[in-house]
Amino acid sequence: MTNILLVDDEPSLIAVLQPVLGAAGYHVIVATDGNSASRLALDQRPDVVLLDLGLPDMDGKEVIRRIRAASAVPIIVISARHQEAEKIAALDNGADDYVNKPFEIGELMARIRAAIRRGKSLESEPETYSGGPLDVDFASRQVRLDGEAVKLSPKEYDLLRVLALSAGQVVTHKRLLAAGWGSERTDSQYLRVYIGLLRQKIEEDPSDPRLLLTEPGVGYRLTPGA
Amino acid sequence: MTDSPTLLGTMRKVKLHLSAGQFLLTIMLVTLSATGSFAAAQYGEVAAALVFVLGITVAGALCGLASALIAALVGFLIYNFYLTEPVLTFRLVTGSDIAPLVIFNLCALVSGVLAGRLKDHAEAARSSNLQLNSLLELSRGLQSAQRLEDVVATVGKAAHEIVGARISLFRAEEEGLTPLDAMPRDDRWRGFAEALLASPTPMLRDGNLLGCRLNGGTDVPILMIVEPFRPRGIEPAFVNALGNMVALALQRAALSEQMTERRASARAEELKTALLASVSHDFRTPLTAISASASSLITYGEKLDPETSLRLLHGIVEEGERLNRYTANLLEMSRLETGGGPASLQVLGVSEMVAAAVQRVRSRAGRRSIVLRDPESDLQIAANPALFELVLINILDNAITYSADETHIRIELSGVDGLCRIAIADEGFGIPAQDADRVFDRFYRVARSEASPRGSGLGLAIAKGFVEALGGTIGATVPGIEGRGTCITIRLPLAEGTGLS
Repeated sequence: MTNILLVDDEPSLIAVLQPVLGAAGYHVIVATDGNSASRLALDQRPDVVLLDLGLPDMDGKEVIRRIRAASAVPIIVISARHQEAEKIAALDNGADDYVNKPFEIGELMARIRAAIRRGKSLESEPETYSGGPLDVDFASRQVRLDGEAVKLSPKEYDLLRVLALSAGQVVTHKRLLAAGWGSERTDSQYLRVYIGLLRQKIEEDPSDPRLLLTEPGVGYRLTPGA
Repeated sequence: MTDSPTLLGTMRKVKLHLSAGQFLLTIMLVTLSATGSFAAAQYGEVAAALVFVLGITVAGALCGLASALIAALVGFLIYNFYLTEPVLTFRLVTGSDIAPLVIFNLCALVSGVLAGRLKDHAEAARSSNLQLNSLLELSRGLQSAQRLEDVVATVGKAAHEIVGARISLFRAEEEGLTPLDAMPRDDRWRGFAEALLASPTPMLRDGNLLGCRLNGGTDVPILMIVEPFRPRGIEPAFVNALGNMVALALQRAALSEQMTERRASARAEELKTALLASVSHDFRTPLTAISASASSLITYGEKLDPETSLRLLHGIVEEGERLNRYTANLLEMSRLETGGGPASLQVLGVSEMVAAAVQRVRSRAGRRSIVLRDPESDLQIAANPALFELVLINILDNAITYSADETHIRIELSGVDGLCRIAIADEGFGIPAQDADRVFDRFYRVARSEASPRGSGLGLAIAKGFVEALGGTIGATVPGIEGRGTCITIRLPLAEGTGLS
């Protein structure tokens, strides 16, 4: 059974998430403060940590640091939409993904599934990615859209590879810049241009992307599409 | 000072009047020189004449031109009659008869005029010293004037006491001249002010009226009109200096006014930002719970057991209520903000209201025990019921939010001296003692080390506004129960004819 550590001090949210995650087949462990969260993350070895950044006893980023010091467990942060800086700081501290408040349960479940998949892929790197119309073969660097080969430039492929390896999860501007240009400091303008080129090649309507989504102020996310 | 300092010019200014003392002194000097001159006569006429010249000079130096002329005339008569040949006769025939008359009078003129000039200089020095002092004193007064009204008041006061003039200030707006002070004034001032406004030079003189156009730090020029009421009048240079000083003070006042305005708008901006932040923070948690519950019921409806489904539905209702309460808080806050008084007072049973509020928060109190101690169940106050309930719920909510589960919250009611006392104590984290008053400030939230603040920071501010509007008091004390937590105490006037009153 998959274990989820839910870290939140809002009784109303716990009251919703605990039974619903249970009904979805997960076993839920609840922590209402940062101290017990970091302890339970190491003792109970959850498969995913769901962490609300606003905790009574310590900053959410500190919880992430403490868990990361001993464990690679995927961490999904629950945060307010407008707190880009908070989210980026959490991701920089080792969180894997985030979900904005208020969220729909389907969105949260998708994030949890992506996190679990990513957690497994860390143990043995996958050879292929398959999501919606898009297939990527990492060994041969082959990209197919609805079965047809797509020709990508090396830089476009590098970006797509990073996004596909973290499929379903947000990939920050920093990580994409590091993957494409070897430096986090590169002007993110280049990144926007290349993401645009990628969308031209894989999206049905590049102006209304369904696969390669923008996470405003944070990064991009590759999804299987609707 | 416009006259050139020639002898003639000075003569015009020398006054030919003598005081009684000066007249007496002149007589004495003439007598003295006459006696001296008789004594000197044995050494010849010239010696006697020189003694008279000495006397005339002294008279001129001490008592001015008039005295010198009198001394010269009397001296000449005595000299001619007694001391020159033929003795005891007046004779004005030869050159030696006329020469003393001319020389004596010339001598008197020179010494008198010189003495007059000296006196004028001394007078001018004293008056300029006085003006300097008065400017200094005025500048001291203006320095402490921070607002336009202060500047006007200081100038008006100084005008009378220091300058010796009526000073009026006008604001020259496009619609016309607006007097800045409340002084009574006739049409002459208005006409002069209009002439000054149209004048190409910043300064104008008309009779005894002097005017200055000042740059008061705003787009609107300020006119300063000085009407001296001392006979000596006032120098234009002094008015100019005065004008510069007043202009500086006006500019400073204008700047400080702008600063105040800017600060006020910055504060309003801050309030707006805080309000928005509070809205987005406070509303997000209940919204998240509602959204997650509803979407769960849609997506996993058949997988959830009936009990869980019901709990989710109850949660939705409860969170909806919480949102409603936040909205009420925001509305109340803006109403307190705009100074709207307490609406529709009703006589309310306090214990009943408290019990209802406890009922409302019970669901989010977890396993905390909330105990109501109520020795006098007939306490009644006059208040707006919805607002009173909101205030009670705000305080109880704080007690719950800032305390651990399975702790106690104790409510005590009592009537003392015509006041109803409601004390709500918890065993929570408490507040720093030095912040006991600040918890009632808008948007104050107790810092919880590095953790994120909870709540909007509006609840207790609204409670304070409510209580004070009803003529009551509210206070926070630490500790609440057994060395821990906080106690919020409200005192409200009892409705007449209830409690112990």
